[in-house]
Amino acid sequence: MKRQNLDASIDIDGGKGLKKFLQKDLTPYLVFLIPMAFLCIFLFWPLVNTFFRAFMKSGNKFNLGALGFSGFEKFLTSSLYQRSLKNSFIVGISVTGWSLLIGVPMGYFVARVKMAGKPLMLSLGILPVIMPSFIGAFSWIILLGRQGVARHYINLVLEPLGITLPSIYGMFGMIFCMTMTYYPFVFLLSHGAFSSANALLEDAGMLMGASRWRIFKTITFPLVIPSIGAAALLVFIRSIGNFGIPAVIGGDQYVLPTLIYFRVNGFWDLNGASSIAVVNVIITGFVLWLQKYVVSRREYETISASRVEIRQHEHPLIRVIATVYCLLVLFISLTPQIVIIVMSFFEKWQGLFPEGFTLANYLRIPRVTSRELWNSLYLSSIATLLTAILGSIIAYITERRRPKGAGILDMAVMAPFILPGTVVSVALLSAFSGKNWISIGGTYTIIIIAYMVRRTPYVYRSVAASLTQLNPSLEEASTIAGAHWIYTFRRVSVPLILPGIISGSILTFSTLLQELSTTILLYSSQTRTVPILIYGSVADGQLGEASALSVLLLLVVFVIVYFTNKSQGKGLSSGLKMG
Amino acid sequence: MSLDLTYRNVSKVFGAGGKNPVQALREVSFTIMPGELFCLLGPSGCGKTTLLRSTAGLETITGGQILYGGKDITSIPPFRRNIGMVFQSFALYPHMNIFENVAYGLRVRKAPEEEVKRKVREVMELVGLTEELKRNPSPSGLSGGQQQRVAIARALVYDPDILLLDEPLANLDAKLRRYMRAEIRRIQKATNITTIFVTHDQEEAMAVGDRLAVMRRGIVEQIGTSDELYNKPNSAFVANFIGKMNFFSARLSGRGPEGALVEFVMRNITMSIPAGRDYLPASLDPGAPVLVGVRPEQLVVSSAETPDSVPGKVNIIQHLGQFVRYEVSVDPALSAQTFEIDMPGLVHGMAEGDRVFVTVKPGKASVYAPDQGRSE
Repeated sequence: MKRQNLDASIDIDGGKGLKKFLQKDLTPYLVFLIPMAFLCIFLFWPLVNTFFRAFMKSGNKFNLGALGFSGFEKFLTSSLYQRSLKNSFIVGISVTGWSLLIGVPMGYFVARVKMAGKPLMLSLGILPVIMPSFIGAFSWIILLGRQGVARHYINLVLEPLGITLPSIYGMFGMIFCMTMTYYPFVFLLSHGAFSSANALLEDAGMLMGASRWRIFKTITFPLVIPSIGAAALLVFIRSIGNFGIPAVIGGDQYVLPTLIYFRVNGFWDLNGASSIAVVNVIITGFVLWLQKYVVSRREYETISASRVEIRQHEHPLIRVIATVYCLLVLFISLTPQIVIIVMSFFEKWQGLFPEGFTLANYLRIPRVTSRELWNSLYLSSIATLLTAILGSIIAYITERRRPKGAGILDMAVMAPFILPGTVVSVALLSAFSGKNWISIGGTYTIIIIAYMVRRTPYVYRSVAASLTQLNPSLEEASTIAGAHWIYTFRRVSVPLILPGIISGSILTFSTLLQELSTTILLYSSQTRTVPILIYGSVADGQLGEASALSVLLLLVVFVIVYFTNKSQGKGLSSGLKMG
Repeated sequence: MSLDLTYRNVSKVFGAGGKNPVQALREVSFTIMPGELFCLLGPSGCGKTTLLRSTAGLETITGGQILYGGKDITSIPPFRRNIGMVFQSFALYPHMNIFENVAYGLRVRKAPEEEVKRKVREVMELVGLTEELKRNPSPSGLSGGQQQRVAIARALVYDPDILLLDEPLANLDAKLRRYMRAEIRRIQKATNITTIFVTHDQEEAMAVGDRLAVMRRGIVEQIGTSDELYNKPNSAFVANFIGKMNFFSARLSGRGPEGALVEFVMRNITMSIPAGRDYLPASLDPGAPVLVGVRPEQLVVSSAETPDSVPGKVNIIQHLGQFVRYEVSVDPALSAQTFEIDMPGLVHGMAEGDRVFVTVKPGKASVYAPDQGRSE
């Protein structure tokens, strides 16, 4: 067998030139074209389009002659625009600040204080981020809204002191809700950093005579700063891009994403919306740059080969304080989920207790919302499947084949990760609705494409991470053993990166089910999804129905995440770290 | 039956046309005999792994030809070359049991199930894993040495024309390494496949290889048997890479058919080097700086001064079993390195810090041209 093999190939190789070219494996180049084409058409072109529209007067067609700054002038003339911009900044900065204040101590406690139930705390801690944030906002309305139960009683307590808790509508509510939604990023990332730090470094400090506080100040804390910086960035980007919370409880306070929605939904002014989108992206880009500039110069290698147990605080007082603190934060941040579940079984909740136990809210679901349920499942599944394929191929190409321009591909794929959902929608609308050469406004297709563009980073990062752990010699060994590129990919690469593909896909699916900020600008009466319906019900004051739907959504997402976590360890929590 | 493997002017440039092209192989030419176990030896970055990967087809050479049995295989893609390769990391598939790992190459070739079973059994017997095959665990359930054997079995099962071993022992601990290198030699001799063994460890290369090639900076410096390379290194680099060589700075004072006459720098010592130990280029003029190289066991350290001895100071005395190693520093102008001198036993009355005298055993010195890159 062996001689034949070699001889045959030598014969084929007798002729040079064309034959030699054809013998070169062209598959990777062909496969490379598909994601490139997708990104060019559905990411670059819409973004370029948006960028130019931003400089056009509202109502103008795409036309280079009509360029100007009128869209941006509103930021100087309109008080609504100025207030929105200011609000976005305040929300972004406050939410980041509060998340750090709440999350860092919690991360430290769980990593460094001897406590019971740490795995449970970590699992519960991740819930607020994977649950739809606007559902959280909506449930805080029940508690702290104008007639909020909790607010009523808190104010009874606070009255003698001469202070009152403001209504949840407005800046206070946005900041509070977003902090409760996003602090887990800080908690989980700082926990990871505090627990993976090299204990020997701290032991060395102690042997050299440093006090515990000094060690924390001079060794422990500086080493976790990069992780905390990354978490802060993630919180900032998420909070200034968040649409659901300001839409539900912003009241008359607009932020940039809701302002974009207002321009599009109220005036169909894509040019004006583009200007706002550009401003939004500039802020995000600036912060991203700032973080790179400040934090990347302080990157340390904190993981070491030697596994030494990290010293834990055992003082009873510290343990009590830490436990109470962590439980309190978890309780407050999980209150919305509990409230929604209770609310879904009652007609109304205006006094101390909800009134009128009923199952009607649930029984109504199949009748009223079968179309939306189907749409949500259909759109999320198709988009997840396509995203998984696209993300895996791009990851494989950039990690393994390293063609020229792989760096650009990497940046392009990751770009939507920092783009607010409303911005992606505006970009797609401005490129593909109305009389454009591809007109898909109001269709399922545009939503699926928006989902793909926004979620490809999830799969891409997840697969790329498994690929970097996959030694290239595993694939080379297959090639040497006589396998063609495709055989190797099928038998060696795919089975080994499958966990990465699965966890990326599950993250994609569970976040798409609850997607609001992109869908809200793209849906039509035919393509409405469950989150849109919930949003609508909340706006109409039908809290019971909204609650039942939310519980359904929470349940589906929770079940998916729970079983993934169980079978894959910490696949999801590490997936969330991207950024 | 394996055939011979020939490299003809093989060159490889990484990043050609880019800002920093790296010339990994420069016009490498030599032949490996059929069934030979051939070692590629050199410091990291010398091009030995590149040459191995080019042989496998994992790298495309930028110049020259690789011939197997006289036929050019340069442009045959790696999956058609019928080569077996063992990787430094073993590269065993964690998602397959050891049977499927070994059977992989046969499955690729669509061998019938019966043949797969028979061949896997045979090759596992050859590498000594018959018992493990019965349990058939996944690779992670095996020890390092057993994983190594699986990797070898996987490379051998489809009767490759050439076997390539890329630092195969680097991931094993020292004791196992010595054992496995003997095993590899046994298995290679049993199958008689033309084999290339890449390593940076000279002791390993000398123990395993029929012949060795010492490489540096993309060039083959010398090819020969272990004995030839140790006793007749033809450059200062090879001399110091294969075992230890102590160098005295000297000047060439005369040359003739019977050998070279050299004069030690700063010392009034003249030494004649026999023609067989004169590795200087023919063009070298008298007065040129040269290096006189002496193996540790060919130097003698003594407390007594003689006319042809060099004074020095004992830094460290190490008793290493069969011999005692004296580390002696001499006048830096004469040698910047510390000398290693291996004496058959302890020299009576000599202690660390003592002033001592070093002499060369008659006729045991060689002479080399100074080597610019020796510090590498």
